[in-house]
Amino acid sequence: MAADAKTHEMKPMKPEEVLRLIAAQRGAAICVPTMTTGPEWRAIAPNDLSVGCVGFMGGASSLGLGLALARPDRRVLVLDGDGSLLMQLGSLATIAGAAPRNLVHFLFKNGVYQTSGAQWIPGGLTVDFVTMARGAGYRAALAIHDIEDFRKRLPEILTMEGPVFVELHTGLAEQTPMTARGGVPFPEQVTNLRAKLLRPRATA
Amino acid sequence: MPESVPASLIIDTLKDTFREARKELAAEVAEPPQHSHLGWILSVPDTHQKTVLAALDKEEQIRVLTCATEDEAATIAGGLYIGGEPVVLMIQHAGLYASVNTLRGVAMDGRIPTFYMIGLLSREKDKAPRESRHSMVRYCEPLLDTFGIPHATLEGPDDVHYIPEYYRLSRQRKGPAVVLVGLETA
Repeated sequence: MAADAKTHEMKPMKPEEVLRLIAAQRGAAICVPTMTTGPEWRAIAPNDLSVGCVGFMGGASSLGLGLALARPDRRVLVLDGDGSLLMQLGSLATIAGAAPRNLVHFLFKNGVYQTSGAQWIPGGLTVDFVTMARGAGYRAALAIHDIEDFRKRLPEILTMEGPVFVELHTGLAEQTPMTARGGVPFPEQVTNLRAKLLRPRATA
Repeated sequence: MPESVPASLIIDTLKDTFREARKELAAEVAEPPQHSHLGWILSVPDTHQKTVLAALDKEEQIRVLTCATEDEAATIAGGLYIGGEPVVLMIQHAGLYASVNTLRGVAMDGRIPTFYMIGLLSREKDKAPRESRHSMVRYCEPLLDTFGIPHATLEGPDDVHYIPEYYRLSRQRKGPAVVLVGLETA
């Protein structure tokens, strides 16, 4: 198939490089990593405006949507995976319906469930998430295969009117939540991010 | 015998609940979100509460977001909570069963206050839900009990006080709390 052939011709981007570029340009955006984007994001951006989707695979896009609707004054960047998104694929339509202008939905596409042993996702690399996002009603949806192209386009992506969907063709991550365990537990991440956004009076 | 609760009464109670939630948040934090609406209903449409959903369509003070699944609704509620927004989920029992892992992962393990109104579609008027001949009605309370989730049932207009009480309870316990809607709303 065309998508498969194209992907095999090109060297996939390293997810760590992609994440470092996002971290460098995100500004005050809230970020929602999940699964294989989690360990590297934890190292790049510890203790900041992030909350990881941990313990409910598939929820990153919905968690990001809730944050985007609550805080329209801030950008929200979802750092999703292809296997994860398939678990709540309907969220594409829900996000498009809610139409948050401040949401950018990055999809790290590697074709596999890397954390559980790199089994193929249904359809593998042939699944066209860009078409799905566009069909659902995202304001913009695009695919990026090359790190230099991503570097050039990222500033514009981060200022586009959302919801924006960006399918990033990446290889396997160096670490997964199974090989790099630890990090701040999810409830503490929730408390920390909420405190940073709302500033409880006792600590204000 | 149980009675149907009018949609208008439920909506007025929800508005009061949201007002109280915003007032409390404003007292607690320096930067509460500034919105013109009072709060959010996240719904995967429930036949049992359809009169409420229809009336909410005309409400400007409450924002309604229809979600594709109950998993999404519970997770979006988590994001809204982190951002300081008051939220109520309106789903039906089948949706509760469908989204148990998200309920566990987000509301329970994540210690995120999450208030549900769950319609008991097909509940017989002359039977307690646990005695229903329909498994989707019969298993609802035992499932909530298994997870240790506090719940009460609207069995008539006099019970609407459960809505603010269980909303508050979800905040106090930092987890889920449920009001079951016993009969189809009027």
